[in-house]
This record gives sequence, structure tokens and C-alpha cells, in this order.
Amino acid sequence: MSLPTPFSAQKRTSASLPSENGEPRGGAARLLPRGRQQIHKTFNNLKITILCGFITILVLRGTIGLGRLSSNESDGDNRLIIEETNRILAEIRSDNDGDGDEQFPDVNSTFSLGPTTISWDEDRNVWLQKNPQFPNYINTGNPRILLVTGSPPNPCENAIGDHYLLKGLKNKVDYCRIHGVEIVYNMANLDRAMAGNWGKLPLIRRLMLSHPEFEWIWWMNSDAYFTDMAFKLPLWKYNESNLVVHGYPDLLFIEKSWISLNTGSFLVRNCQWTLDLLDAWATMGPKGSIRDEAGKILTANLKGRPEFEADDQSALIYLLIMAKDKWMGKVYVENSYNLHGFWEGLVDRYEEMMEDWRSGLGDERWPFVTHFVGCKPCGGNVDYPVERCLRSMERAFNFADNQVLKLYGFQHRGLASPSVKRIRNESVAPLVDVDLFDIRHVMEHGRVDR
Amino acid sequence: MFDKVISPCRSRRLHRYFRNGKLTLLCLILTVIMFRAYLGAGRFGTPEKDLNEIRQTFAYLRRRAEPRRILESVSTASQFHSRVYRYADFDAARIFNDGDGGGVGELKRNESEPYRLGARISDWDNERLRWLRRNPKFPNFVGRRKPRVLLVTGSSPKPCENPVGDHYLLKSLKNKVDYCRLHGLEMFYNMALLDAEMSGFWAKLPLIRKLLVSHPEVELLWWMDSDAMFTDMAFELPWERYKNHNLILHGWDHKVYGEKHWVGLNTGSFLLRNCQWSLDLLDVWAPMGPVGKAREEAGEVLTRELKDRPVFEADDQSAMVYILATQREKWKDKVYLENAFYLHGYWGILVDRYEEMIDSYHPGLGDQRWPLVTHFVGCKPCGEFGDYSVERCLKQMNRAYNFGDNQILQMYGFGHKTLASRRVVRIRNDSGKPLEVEDEFGLLHPPFKSVKLNSY
Repeated sequence: MSLPTPFSAQKRTSASLPSENGEPRGGAARLLPRGRQQIHKTFNNLKITILCGFITILVLRGTIGLGRLSSNESDGDNRLIIEETNRILAEIRSDNDGDGDEQFPDVNSTFSLGPTTISWDEDRNVWLQKNPQFPNYINTGNPRILLVTGSPPNPCENAIGDHYLLKGLKNKVDYCRIHGVEIVYNMANLDRAMAGNWGKLPLIRRLMLSHPEFEWIWWMNSDAYFTDMAFKLPLWKYNESNLVVHGYPDLLFIEKSWISLNTGSFLVRNCQWTLDLLDAWATMGPKGSIRDEAGKILTANLKGRPEFEADDQSALIYLLIMAKDKWMGKVYVENSYNLHGFWEGLVDRYEEMMEDWRSGLGDERWPFVTHFVGCKPCGGNVDYPVERCLRSMERAFNFADNQVLKLYGFQHRGLASPSVKRIRNESVAPLVDVDLFDIRHVMEHGRVDR
Repeated sequence: MFDKVISPCRSRRLHRYFRNGKLTLLCLILTVIMFRAYLGAGRFGTPEKDLNEIRQTFAYLRRRAEPRRILESVSTASQFHSRVYRYADFDAARIFNDGDGGGVGELKRNESEPYRLGARISDWDNERLRWLRRNPKFPNFVGRRKPRVLLVTGSSPKPCENPVGDHYLLKSLKNKVDYCRLHGLEMFYNMALLDAEMSGFWAKLPLIRKLLVSHPEVELLWWMDSDAMFTDMAFELPWERYKNHNLILHGWDHKVYGEKHWVGLNTGSFLLRNCQWSLDLLDVWAPMGPVGKAREEAGEVLTRELKDRPVFEADDQSAMVYILATQREKWKDKVYLENAFYLHGYWGILVDRYEEMIDSYHPGLGDQRWPLVTHFVGCKPCGEFGDYSVERCLKQMNRAYNFGDNQILQMYGFGHKTLASRRVVRIRNDSGKPLEVEDEFGLLHPPFKSVKLNSY
């Protein structure tokens, strides 16, 4: 006779006793039938408990990761290497290289960017005539342009910041290759007193004086991306100007807004006027008491400016307002295209742009530059949620990269994707595609394409 | 226990309810944990964060199912970003999303079919010549006897696994940008994997082919690894020396053709002419590359045939040694194995001597006295680990970068405080007559950068 199974025992009401069919087994026979049922119930509960416990552990391993319980040798090695890398990284970041022992100029001393030059236009002309192999106009009429950008020499506070600096530099290298613009990426602090955003002033001055062959110096922030690879600067508009900056004249002169101009992307001509402007501009820059005091003046005079030390953008705005007659004759405030394009209003519309417009427009239909003001992935005070910033920067980069990859027959698998997909089969006549899709040839022959 | 308060019947029912209740609760907990794992509600996030993430996942799924309604989905998705304001609290890998499929020619290749880099082109030299004649504004020679050169390098489009990797990639790219600006070279930084089968070190082959046929104006393509840095900014390649050759690599004839040594040449820095010969070579080079059986089996052949090669899958460098050694009649006379200067310089024997070089020599030599390229073979700063100690690699890469950067900064009167320091100091006073000062090595306006005079 078979034993009553545990389940059949439970199905019966607990009042009924097991039938005489139950063959006594082991020590259980000595217990009351009710006790055996109890044991069976306990066993059942125990089984379920163990099963559930097992599943819980598996799932927890999956989500939380109890890796330490089963680390094998290679895991251990990996950890050691990661720890060592982090230690070295911390060492690199904390090494401030004697930064603390600086004497910055105070309000009473005079600061200057360098020895005053007064005859730069003549000297430069003489040099250009003596050196015809370094002309300031190349390729039948285009002025030689130098794009200048840069970042601090230390690793970013966040590793993702360095990744976007890398992508930003690639983006600029692509634009410059297509348009024959030379590029300097600066990672040196040339003047400790002009540290931070002010560092662009001594840098621009130095490059102008060392490279008389450049007609225009174009400063661009590291957080600004080219998003229209086919757009050429309309330099013919600036024949009478020496400074080209994106902004709005009414915001500048009527409202005196601290964001009426944007110094994240601007051009200066290589001439005496610019040297003079840089000298006047730099007076608010020196770190320490000068910059702090200047900050107070700027906050008091410019609309909407929060309280903080002087920044180069507010200082330029203030200078142009205060000495309007001296400077504005040679300043072009550009807003017909996005020499600077504030990212928030642009990044969500990229797909719409790809459907409705084409590259080469440079304005809000297909922005020339998308500038990620306030995102600061490298470090600093962040004004926006970081996820939004990072997703948008990736989208902007891929949007631009698509325009470069089109020649090669590839596109990104979506603006959030680092992977690419083929959009054109390999051809036995690739030169046909070159004529159709190489942006330089399209610009040359006046044909436009998406 | 309850027997005293309620009837036995009821108490039994209560017991049953309790038991069922326990089971239900347990299952509920498991379900919640599974939801956290698969719908992705982060690790120990707040309930609000959980809710946001669940909404986001559904938004993503909805978007996947409705590719046409991209516009709406994009605007709704933007509301679901987490409100994190510190980069350290956010896992950046989450922003990447491999999006839709599609694309042409995506079918998986039948393994029995031979791998092809692309459609067979057989008359490239003539086609290219005709194109160059039609497009005189894009000449293949940019100076007297100076070919148009495109320097090509690249890295992965995703952030490095190593937290300091991207910083070194950035410095390495800046280093190359500087050299290219000084020498009038064009540059392409690749971040796209063009062919998933040719992954890893083989990815350069489809890229090189694509660039050659898309840029007929380029005469020479110079491939350079991302872990190689220019350390001699003044050295101009002897273009005339290579006018009859199509492939220029660093290496030794006797090591390649004689010993068949697996490091007899180096494919971390080499030049390839834009011509039919090169397309044919790429076609012969590629078949050992496709990931899987082809690469594994080729690896075995290479280990067997080449001297001192360890056991691992086929790599492009060993494959090149093998091709040159076994098909020398076909290729040898157009290949130049350069060793008069360091077109590739193994870092291990160079980095400790930089101070000695500064004392005794000057830039422009390109050889063991002042190497053109210092190549950090085996360091892998972007990956999780390499063959050498992390500390030595990172510190030496920094020194090599500063050594090269000093030659750029000296043009403007600056230099690094020491080779280990990122701080720069003035080495020349600012003069009132900037145009009368030329830099010590003549890099501001070097002869190799001057334009062709008759064009302007």
C-alpha cells in the first residue's frame, strides 16, 4: 500500500485521521498521526521557503550584484587596476602644480596683456609683402582663418566631460577640414592672472602677433558644436568690420542685457584695432580683487546679471555700451544665422530639421552652431539636468556627424546612437558619389543637397 | 493560540489565510524586484526616480513601435529626464541608444562566401586621373613635390571604460592636430565602426578603403593609431624618397622577408598611396580579418608561420608580414620599409631619454636622437587594462605629450615647467617687435608649410 502523499494529506480536513493504509515509516510511526501531518506541513513550508530564498538570491545578484561573493582571479585583477587608475587620476587632479603661490595684480597696479604695439597694421603689411609664401588670402579670395578653442590641461572632474571634449574637437576638425580653416586647440594657461574664461584674451593676442598670415581669428568655446557642416561664413559682409559677434543690438543698447552678446563664438580681424580692443577688454580680467570689483560694477550696470566675478562676456558688453562711439563702428552684431545657437531651443528639433530643411542654411532651420551654455560636463556649476545635457550633446554631435558621414554612405542609427548604418551600397563608381555628396564640391558647384 | 478566542474552524481558516497571505506577499516582493531589474528603476533610487524610469521605458518602447511618430515621442521623452544635477550621480552610458535598424546591405554574410571590402574596382588609376583633371581646384599635390596627405586616426564612439582614457585620447588628438597644422596635412578622426565584422584593429581596413575612394584628391593616406604621439614637430617626411613606392611602413627588410618576424614591421603608423595597387593590397589583406572562424583560423596560420608570434587571433600587423613574406614578387618592389627615422617608435626605449635628448639634440631629426613618433604599444589607456603597469603608461604618455607640446609652445615663448607638469612658464620675454622674433626651430613659418606660389 502506498503512503498517503503529503498533498493528499493536506487536502483532507485536518480532523480526519489518515486511513489504516498509511504504512508506518521510521520513527514517524511512533508519533501521533497529527504530529506527522505537522511535520509534513513544516517540510512543505521549508521547501517553499528555500525555493523562494534561492530565487531571491538569484534576482538580487542580477540587480544589485553580489559579485564579491564569487570574485575570481580576473575580477580581482580588474579591481586592482581600476583602483590604481583611480588613485593616479586623483593624484593628477589634485596636483595643482604650485597654483597657490601666485601674486595677482591688485586694483592699483596696471595690468597689460603685453608690450604695447602701435604700428601693427603697417608691420603686418610689411611682413606679408616680404613673405608671399604665407599669404593672408588663399584659394582665390578666401581670407585665411584660424579657429581657436581649448580646454584646461587637467582631466575633467567627470570622465564624461573629457569624452565630449574629444567629440567636440573631432567636430571642429571635421568642419575645418571641409572649409580649409586651420585650428589651434589650446591646453596651456598662458597668463595665470587671466585664468578661466579670460584665458582666451592673451591667447588670441599671442596668436595674432605670431601669425600675421591669419586674417581672422575665430574663437569658439569647447562646449559649442558645429551643426551645419555646409555653412560658409559670409565674410563679404564683414569687410568693414573687425569684430563679429552674435547678439541683438536692441538687447545690447536699450535693455543693456548681460546676455545680449555671446562670446562663445566670435571673430576678430588681425589688426591694430583688435589689439586695442583686447587691451581695453582685459582691464576687468585679472584674477583677484580686480575681477571681483569689476564683477560688482557689471552686475550693477547690466540687466539680469547675477552676482559673481567679472566674466569676459559681460565685460565686452559693458565696454561696447560705455564706449559705443569708439568701438561700434567696426563691430558687426550678427543674428541672421547662428554664429552662436543656444542649445535648448534647437536640440529637440533636429529630426524635424532633417525632414523639412537641408544643411547650408545656418539659421534656426538648420543651426550653424549649437552652443551648450550652462551644461559644463567638464566641471563647474551646472544649470541644467545632466541627463538632458548629455543626451542633447550626443544628439548634436551625431546630427553633425551625419553630415560628414553622408559622403561615405553611412548615417547614425538614430541621433542617440553611436553606431552607424550603411545608407548606400558600395559602388564600382565611387567618384559619382564624391561629386554628389562631398560638401566641398557641392559648395563649389553651387548644388545643394540634404 | 486562537483556539481560545475563536472556534477551531475559524482558526483553521485564519491559518490558511495567513499561509496564503505569506505566499502572496513573497510573490509580490519577487515581482517588484523583477520589475526593478528589467524595467530598470536604477539601484536604490527614490520612488519618484523609479516612476520616472518606468515611464521612460514605456516611452522608449512606444517609440520603438511607432517609428513614424518620432516627433511626438521626442517631445514627450524630454519631459522624462531625471532631475540629477551632478554628473557624478549619473551613469552616462544610459544616454546611448542604438535606435532603429534598417540600412542597406545589412544581411549577414554567408561564411562560406569570401569577405569583400567592397565592390571590385579595377580601373581606379585612370578614373582618379580623369577626376583630378576635371577638378583642378582639388590637386593631389599641394606644394612643390609635396603630396596631399590625409592623416587618419580614430577611437570608439562610446566613452572609455577607463576614467582617464578620454583625457589621453583628447591630448593625443590635439597632438596630431598640432603636427598636421604645422605640416599642412589634412586630418580625419574616425569614430564610426563601418563594418561590424572587421572590428578591433581590423576596423582600419574598411575605413582606409572608404577614404581612398571618397577622396581622390588625397595622394597619400597616413594611418596612425590613437596611442601614437608625435614627438618631433619639426620633422617633415622625406616625400621624394617615396615617390616610387605605394606602402611605407616602419620595419626592417631582413626581419620581414628573411626572418618572417611578427614585429618585423608596424602597422600603427604607415602611409598608403591612393592607387589601384593599394586597393588590391587591401583586398588581399582583408580576408584574415572577419571576426569569427576566419580570424581564429588565420591566427593559427600566422602563429605557425611567423617567428615568435604568440597564440591569439589574427591581427592586421602579422597578416601584413605574412602577405609580404609569402607574396614578395607581387608586392615587395612598391613597399618601403623605413627605419632611418621613427615613423613608429616603440615607447619603451624612448620615454626615459627625453631629458637627455633635450640636452644633446634638437627637433627635426626624427630618429633615435629625437623620435618622430612615440607609440604606446600595449598601454591601452581607453580600455580596462593593458600589458604594462597603469602608472608607468599614464605617466609616460603625459611626458611624451609634454615633450611634443613644448615644441609647439616654444613658438609662442612658453614651455612646460617640467616634462611631468601641466603648468607652462614663459621661456622668452614678450617683445615689442613680435615680427622680428622667430622661434628657435623655425616652426612658426616653416618652409614645408608655404603655399605653392604659382597658384595665387
